[in-house]
Amino acid sequence: MPDEVPVAETTDAVPVAQAVSPYPEPAQDRHRRDALALTIAAAAWLLPGLGHALLKMWGRALVCFSTVALLVILGAGMRGNIFSRNGEDAFAKLGYVADLGAGSFYFVAKALEPAGPDVSHANGDYGTRLLATAGVLNMLAALHAYEVARARKA
Amino acid sequence: MTPPHEFRLSHFQAMVIFALVISIAFGFLSRRGPYKRARYILWSFILFLLIGVGIGWAMYPFSH
Repeated sequence: MPDEVPVAETTDAVPVAQAVSPYPEPAQDRHRRDALALTIAAAAWLLPGLGHALLKMWGRALVCFSTVALLVILGAGMRGNIFSRNGEDAFAKLGYVADLGAGSFYFVAKALEPAGPDVSHANGDYGTRLLATAGVLNMLAALHAYEVARARKA
Repeated sequence: MTPPHEFRLSHFQAMVIFALVISIAFGFLSRRGPYKRARYILWSFILFLLIGVGIGWAMYPFSH
């Protein structure tokens, strides 16, 4: 009888590559992670960059905050139109949704525009676009933070 | 008269700032690593400007 038995013949252990858990994630953990991801998305929407900061993605958090802030400051400084809830037509309603995407910065923009919008010049029109862009960009960042929190993205 | 807190930008200046800010945000959100991000930001910024100016020229005949 040989002293040493080859390793491959001693056990029927699975190779390392297949040793990753074949079992599905428990439903409780999945629900907890979904709830956490939603909370992070809400935080990211409320304050630009906060979602990524909670995920310890400091560079992305800083960039999200500063780009949205810059667009809001410029848009309000150019006296762009900040749409309100009582929009008359579909474009005004869509504009409100886009503006509201900036979260708390929507109210910052209102505070920065004490004289109200002035779209009689092209400058005000550009400002309107920059404000809407800030909102849409923040929604995109919140969606990214949500996907990262659900471990779908890196 | 322009109040001190009010910005007056030309169309081109507004477009450049828009392109730069959006390119930086897209670059940081969609790429990892400084080299890939820088390359994406630069490429995206150039394309924003080229396409913006191109669309402007494409609309030029209709303004006359």
